[in-house]
Amino acid sequence: MSYSILIVDDSLPMRSVIKRTLKTAGYAGSKFHDAANGKEALDLLKNRWIDMVMTDYNMPVMNGLELILAIKKEEILKDIPVVVISTEGNAAKIKEFMDSGAAGYITKPFTPETIRDLIIKFLGETSYDEDPDDSDDDFDF
Amino acid sequence: MMKTLTTAMMTSIFEVMETMFYLPVEFGETPATLIQSGMDNLKPMGCQLEFTGDFSGCFTLLIPNELLVEMTENFMGESKENLGDEHLAGTLTETLNMICGNALSQIKSKKPFGLDIPKVIDEPGISKIQMFTIIETPQSMMAININMA
Repeated sequence: MSYSILIVDDSLPMRSVIKRTLKTAGYAGSKFHDAANGKEALDLLKNRWIDMVMTDYNMPVMNGLELILAIKKEEILKDIPVVVISTEGNAAKIKEFMDSGAAGYITKPFTPETIRDLIIKFLGETSYDEDPDDSDDDFDF
Repeated sequence: MMKTLTTAMMTSIFEVMETMFYLPVEFGETPATLIQSGMDNLKPMGCQLEFTGDFSGCFTLLIPNELLVEMTENFMGESKENLGDEHLAGTLTETLNMICGNALSQIKSKKPFGLDIPKVIDEPGISKIQMFTIIETPQSMMAININMA
């Protein structure tokens, strides 16, 4: 099964690491999109079919919490699961994300297993073994 | 509070360097200036990250170019021929972001700390008497400092 996954982080290397982690976790056949902040992500969400969003919190222009609130306000977007991947490990902050509609939360630094275990909850197991280099990504490296 | 934050920072550095960059680290026995540690000869790239909360301050991280290239290769799984300045700067700022966020989340506080966006800085702007914690990797070293407001 192939999915369309949007990765939102202002760090170009971190976007690349998350994409690589998802590919090694079994989602190599998925199509990956990326955005450097919440506003870029919202613009993309309005023009592309996206199955899942993985977003950082601390970003310029529009942060991850503002992005979640904007997604949940849009009827056509509100059911897309949004997973936060952030350095913010404070319990009160995590609760704020979850209360705002985040589907899950991963703290940095993370292991590939942590990401895989959480993603499977929303997208299910995948055994897609397409060569990652052959995938048709819309992704800046 | 400084001692608690420093301890949290060192724990965080171990975790970030081993989990994300596959690099074991050791800490220098005592803080040192860039000249004392020999870091000034390694022409490090630097970045700073301000934080606010029950107490506020600023983290400064310096990493020599050679080590930063090795970290970025490990982080992104790309060879150095494919890496540009944006990748190196991104790895530098993300490293400090993870160290700082992870360290502050270990501190008990009335409300969550707020983190600013990490900024790349000019290393020559660092004071010659500023003391840093030296972090040794198998092939190189880097330096970090916490300045409380």
